Amino acid sequence: MRALGPGSVSSFLKTILDVIYVALWIGVGALSLITLLAVLLSFNPEILSDVVFRAANGEEVTNRGILVVGPLFAWTLFVGAVLVIVERVRKIFATLTAGDPFHPDNVTRLRVIGLMLAGLELGRYAFWALSAWLLPGQQELDSGFSLTAWFSVLVVFVLAEVFREGARLRREAELTI
Amino acid sequence: MAVRILLDKVLFERRMSLAELADRVGVTQANLTLLKAGKARAIRFTTLAALCRELDCQPGDLLQYDAGYSPEPDDEGF
Repeated sequence: MRALGPGSVSSFLKTILDVIYVALWIGVGALSLITLLAVLLSFNPEILSDVVFRAANGEEVTNRGILVVGPLFAWTLFVGAVLVIVERVRKIFATLTAGDPFHPDNVTRLRVIGLMLAGLELGRYAFWALSAWLLPGQQELDSGFSLTAWFSVLVVFVLAEVFREGARLRREAELTI
Repeated sequence: MAVRILLDKVLFERRMSLAELADRVGVTQANLTLLKAGKARAIRFTTLAALCRELDCQPGDLLQYDAGYSPEPDDEGF
């Protein structure tokens, strides 16, 4: 199988990335609209009067507005962060298909991806902490420390350094007459 | 880098233009300009041999070690 060009692995991956990118944009747009709608609705609690939230101990939760808007907002941020990651991956991929994968800009892109992955993981902890505070006794939310996530962050930062050296070697090769 | 490229001097002595040398050696004029300005990081033996052939000189006529020499730094650093 060819590495580049039509029918290659890269063209297949590019199609997948394009589909994910468009789907994420739609997702961010839809979630932003729903969040905005939920914020507007939360100003009029009468509309949500039939919706009842109960904590694990059976007590009715009174601050319903934040329980609707909070997760929606968190999801919007999550999808937005994934969108930023996919956008950077697409740009890195574009340099690959252009035959210049060790472009210096890819170092920054990889670092941004690493930071976004770390941010997503930290955001998950923050979301858990907030949920535990708003819904006391709720155990269903996953709060565990994910070694895989932090390992991914480490791998991305190592790759960024590899690309930094690759970019330096590329520059050396360019300046070899 | 403390290696000075004396291409200017040799070209002047041979009454040859950079464009002509580039054409004869098969290297772009832009690359020869980089070499002449001391901005190149390395030179291939094949290029050096081609330059010596066309300029009828020895590598020592083109390169000179000068501990105090430092061309303008390259703008792209990592």
